[in-house]
Amino acid sequence: MRLGKRRFIQLAGLSIADRILPVRLWGAPKSGWKVIIVTFGGGVRYAETFAPEGLRNIPRLVEMQPEGHFFRTCTNAGVLSHFNSTASILTGNWQRVDDFGFQPPAGPTIFEQYRKQTGAGPLDAWAIATNKSFSTIGAGADREFGLPYGANVVLPKQLLLEAVQEVVKKKPSEGVASRENMQRQLENILNEGYEGIGWTIFKAGRQLEKSVRETLTRGLVEYINGPEMPTSGDELTFFITREVMREFAPRLILVNFWDMDVAHWGAYSLYLQAITRTDRLTGMLWEEIQANPKYKDQTTLLVLPELGRDGDQNTANGFLNHRSGDASCRDMWLLAMGASVAKGETERPIRHVDVAATAAELLGIKGGEMAGRPIRELLS
Amino acid sequence: MSGKVSPLLQRVIDGGLFDRLPVTFGTYAFDQIKEWDLLFPAEQSYFERLFGLLDRSEAKRVEELFAPLRQIEQKMGVNEKVWPKRQFSLDQVDFLNRNAHYPEWRKAVADLFGRLDPLLEEEIARKGRPRLVVVSSPAELPVGPDRMWTRLREYGRVVALEGQESALARLTPVAELYSAKNAASRYETWLIDAGESLPAAVAGAVSVSYARLARYRSRLMQEVNRLVNSEQIRGPRQLAAKLKELKLSAAEGEVARDPVLAEFVRAILLAGNGTLLVNNTFAEWATVQAVRRARPSVVLVWFGIRNKVKPFSSLLIYADQEQSNPIPTQMDTLGSYVDLEVFYQYVWQEFEKYAEYRRNTVYLFLGEGMDGMFVIAPPDFSLGSANEPLKMARIVEQAKDWLNL
Repeated sequence: MRLGKRRFIQLAGLSIADRILPVRLWGAPKSGWKVIIVTFGGGVRYAETFAPEGLRNIPRLVEMQPEGHFFRTCTNAGVLSHFNSTASILTGNWQRVDDFGFQPPAGPTIFEQYRKQTGAGPLDAWAIATNKSFSTIGAGADREFGLPYGANVVLPKQLLLEAVQEVVKKKPSEGVASRENMQRQLENILNEGYEGIGWTIFKAGRQLEKSVRETLTRGLVEYINGPEMPTSGDELTFFITREVMREFAPRLILVNFWDMDVAHWGAYSLYLQAITRTDRLTGMLWEEIQANPKYKDQTTLLVLPELGRDGDQNTANGFLNHRSGDASCRDMWLLAMGASVAKGETERPIRHVDVAATAAELLGIKGGEMAGRPIRELLS
Repeated sequence: MSGKVSPLLQRVIDGGLFDRLPVTFGTYAFDQIKEWDLLFPAEQSYFERLFGLLDRSEAKRVEELFAPLRQIEQKMGVNEKVWPKRQFSLDQVDFLNRNAHYPEWRKAVADLFGRLDPLLEEEIARKGRPRLVVVSSPAELPVGPDRMWTRLREYGRVVALEGQESALARLTPVAELYSAKNAASRYETWLIDAGESLPAAVAGAVSVSYARLARYRSRLMQEVNRLVNSEQIRGPRQLAAKLKELKLSAAEGEVARDPVLAEFVRAILLAGNGTLLVNNTFAEWATVQAVRRARPSVVLVWFGIRNKVKPFSSLLIYADQEQSNPIPTQMDTLGSYVDLEVFYQYVWQEFEKYAEYRRNTVYLFLGEGMDGMFVIAPPDFSLGSANEPLKMARIVEQAKDWLNL
């Protein structure tokens, strides 16, 4: 029997339709739609998150799950290092550049695609990352794109580190135990020495743009004077993200939480605490999206681990590392939230590189040459 | 090659075996043996058996065995430029990690050892002898035996203990007796301590302690800090080369007198994980590495309580927390309990990976001051029906019997 195109499409069904039909058929882009990608950076295993025994570590995500669309398998088939993993999520192509951020991503990021195609300004695309090696994550090496179209990258933890170092060095009374000391130092850094701590776009002379500096300072003050003694880089990442959302309402944001990489220390309890903190901060971010009129009903939130960690049976040293390439390292999940997201769950495996392609569709731009494919369940 | 290898291995090298093997395998193996004098006897024996086996096997069969790996190397683009002969550094590790065919390469290597290891283990299993592993937890843990060793429950049983005798005082002499009477070398008996509970030195045994290495640790942290901040080290490759030079001095630890152990301690503390920062991580990783490398017969592992993370200053990973933060140091007893539940599993699992330990090792998991202990043991290690609480003295006698002491 001859297999005609119509019959072929019938047989193949929806599973391949996104490869042979124009993606736009799945849903027209929404003007002004926003995308926030949250990574559980540093790596977290299924066992400590959405496996039955892990659910207690992520109460907020468990609450959010029925309201969103959950993808049971989201695979990281690339290099299992932090920079390459997140760069793969942002470019839609598996990245194999230097593991420690000494090279930018090999192709254009979704930030560059978005800004170049829409003419959006630098305030409209942000990468706020706890991982210090992410200073080059906002723009790739492609000369047709690059920094002029990249994201504004902020590394709040670096800011915090510098402040702590200064306070420890100067030894004022009470040292780092005093929130006032810390706040003063953090503000000094913002006023004077911010270079090298992540600002890639607003380097005009030695001055941060006034509104940006004020916004970041508000985030710092909230962090320093929070209800608990601040110990976490991720908390600061959250507060700065929230201020950036309130002040500039960018359409595209990457939030990279990273505290859980403390797993390398070999303290399982600290690793679990970090996961629960990231869960709480992700929940607070979702609350902010719901409460902020610039985001409510016009945002898709994509939450996924950057990578997993080695399984307990692994020969290296279990959860401490993420180098084995076993299923525990590669097979993750993705939770999508937002007004346009159909509630449900999908068994069909998706991949990390599909995130950028999906974000492109949601933002109404062309994805360019991407190995990833738009996730059709999020585009209807 | 920095030291002389054994005559057998030298013959194998001269015969060109290493150069005939796929380069990723051959160079890695060559790198492993190049500091022959810094290897434990068990490691030397392993390499002699491995390459002796390959050397006396029919060339066609060896070629067949390595064919899948050779094919993947071609797909990966392994050549003289990216992989110079007999050179294995972090550049090669980086090449493998970033290669699209890395998962296939790992599988090919795993398959290869899946075929070689059973052959190598046959001889080991034939020469099996009784072994003893004691893993102890500190008295400050906030739980009782009913909530301990939860990940291992299916492999053993809880035995009730009478009285609150110190396991330390009773079991340390067993290790001392073993090293004095039965051990063929110092590396047969290990005492690994997160604190300073176990003796600092036992004649004829290895004793390493996180707490007693404080001076060395402090120097390493200062050096790492300095290298990262002032010498503009670009990344781990450059850092690794510098760290190799930071050797343990005699003033910093008794084991410095033994170059094999000095290098062992350096490698443990600079492994890149939390061994430099967290006492129990040090104890766990030192145990895992001692098993992998030295295959000891009697091992005592004493875990402790780690400190709570201090606000702000904990971000400065390599800073002395006592100096940099006026907030008093506090113990994290609950956190330590959670940490150790995982480590009991990892430690036991590591022993059981090797033929030396399977079916002939008694594992005693203790908690100081607890009225119960957890035992994993072969059927011929008898503690009776154990319905009645046992005295520690009885367990010690059984352990001595088991080790033929």
